[in-house]
Amino acid sequence: MRPGKSTSETWTVGRELPSLSKALTQEKIDGYARASGDFNPIHVDPAFAAATPFGGTIAHGMLLLAYLSEMLTEAFGRAWVSGGRLKVRFKGVARPGDTLTVRGKIERVQDEGWHLFAAVECVNQAGELLVTGDAEVGLP
Amino acid sequence: MDIALLEKGHRFPPVSFVLDEAAVHRYLEAVEDAALPALCRVEGHDWAPPMAVAALALRGLMEAMGLPAGAVHASQEFEFRRPVAVGERLASRAWVAHRSQRSGWLALAVEMEATDEAGQAVLAGRASVLIPQ
Repeated sequence: MRPGKSTSETWTVGRELPSLSKALTQEKIDGYARASGDFNPIHVDPAFAAATPFGGTIAHGMLLLAYLSEMLTEAFGRAWVSGGRLKVRFKGVARPGDTLTVRGKIERVQDEGWHLFAAVECVNQAGELLVTGDAEVGLP
Repeated sequence: MDIALLEKGHRFPPVSFVLDEAAVHRYLEAVEDAALPALCRVEGHDWAPPMAVAALALRGLMEAMGLPAGAVHASQEFEFRRPVAVGERLASRAWVAHRSQRSGWLALAVEMEATDEAGQAVLAGRASVLIPQ
């Protein structure tokens, strides 16, 4: 893989990662079900999901992690895809019609800037926290 | 498999999988990731998106567990050890690392590892799920 564009000088504590937003639709959830093979009816069957405590379909948690991973790929390039670590908790659910925003901020820097720790999260259009966690990456 | 009976230390049968070109294409379309294709195609090699590898490893685990529809994915950890080539055959192994019961829920933490054909780890992870009882 090509070298990532990050350098140890690029990232300092408090610097924000490039955020991104996604408009979530049922079609996108269905597409992720086909790509991942996860056809749990809570994701893809509106009639089934309506009868659950969620009251309707919800996105796969892994789809939200894919969006987080896209942000981390954009920020750290090869360093992320070949040696990153991600640890998250799911705090809420994403529904069709939601606009999701993923964002992050450098929280700690080690090894003279070559090892980075970032807080990451995913929120919906109301600012409700859906995913929160930490990412760790060593720059090449 | 009755998931309510799984004890700490239980090992799920290994699952073999391949992330081929069509699967990568479906994944990239589904997640609308514009940055990955260029990053994953370098010097004549095609590499699989790491979260796609994670998704397929997790799928095998979820199928093995036979999770009921009301199960909730509570937390997730992944560590990507090395890039995976498109078409590379991997095996995922998983075991129950923690089990507890509280307020009508069974909480299971399952650790997993995906390895290449040489037995080297390419991905490690831990998933926590809540299962209504």
